[in-house]
Amino acid sequence: MSWETWALIVLPCALTILIFRVLPVFALKGRTLPAGAVRTLNLIPAAAFAALIANDLLSPTMFAAGFWEGIMPLIAAAIVFAVGYKTKSLIWCIVAGVGGYALLTLI
Amino acid sequence: MKEHIFSDGFKAALPIVAGYIVLGLPCGLLCQQVGMDWLMVLIMSFIFYSGAGQYMIPNMLLAGNPLLSIVASVTLVNSRQMLYGASLSRFTEKTSGALTFLFGATVTDESFGVNLARFMDGDWTVSRATIVNLVSQTSWALSCMAGTLIGSLVSVPTAIASFAMTSIFICLLCMQKVNATHLLTIAASVAGVVLCKWIGFSGPAILVGAIVGVTCGYVFSSRHDCKQGKPAAEDGDES
Repeated sequence: MSWETWALIVLPCALTILIFRVLPVFALKGRTLPAGAVRTLNLIPAAAFAALIANDLLSPTMFAAGFWEGIMPLIAAAIVFAVGYKTKSLIWCIVAGVGGYALLTLI
Repeated sequence: MKEHIFSDGFKAALPIVAGYIVLGLPCGLLCQQVGMDWLMVLIMSFIFYSGAGQYMIPNMLLAGNPLLSIVASVTLVNSRQMLYGASLSRFTEKTSGALTFLFGATVTDESFGVNLARFMDGDWTVSRATIVNLVSQTSWALSCMAGTLIGSLVSVPTAIASFAMTSIFICLLCMQKVNATHLLTIAASVAGVVLCKWIGFSGPAILVGAIVGVTCGYVFSSRHDCKQGKPAAEDGDES
């Protein structure tokens, strides 16, 4: 990857996250966000993470290489959902997900 | 006194550090697979410092997403950071501008949780909280860099490495509240992504799906509150 491509991706992301992190701290000393803004911000994590997961797991060509190849990531994801619901631990979810996926590829 | 500030902050950060070592190594490995070298990863980890975002970038690059779509999607996911700043601002009223900036600029999901719990206990300062943030940030950056260096020495299948990111997002989703508004938001987001991808609109599928989800969730929770005669909900999850 060239430094130009790196900069085109990383610098805007770094700038926007800096604004997201710092702006409310300075802008809201002693005040609160409008209720509508809080409502929207509270919905963003669930919406964004669901969209990211769906994007990773579902595609029109997911069964093109065979039924097992298409269903295998869904089974691994189901294992992670169970571990995540039970433990809420990022580390255990990675272990279950990567380990489960690796084991399923051996079948 | 300063020694106490550092040691208190360092001790509080240790559980985060342990987690970041485990999370950072595969993240660096994934970054190496899209052609980033250790210096790129190190700088990115310090100036961007976002676990979810740093997993998204290589994964979306591997999936062939356009750069603009990657930046927009990562920005959307990171907008949740505003909640942390908004929540922590009340503890910075007597703090200098420079320290407030450094504190705010280095907050993440994990350090927010650790610091907020201690602030609520009453025996915590912005200085100590900033040490937590900086120790966590340094451990994250070094772990990612180490992952990149390891990745250049060993071969790990991309599909398996990138499933670490999917696992993280599943876990983060599991941490969200379970109620009708959030379930509808999740279903609408998934439907939005599926629809986009099935009509060949794959590039901005994540962004579009998330916006569809938020919009549906917002409309649903607003109507629900209206029916119940409530004022605007504080967190949109009263269903």
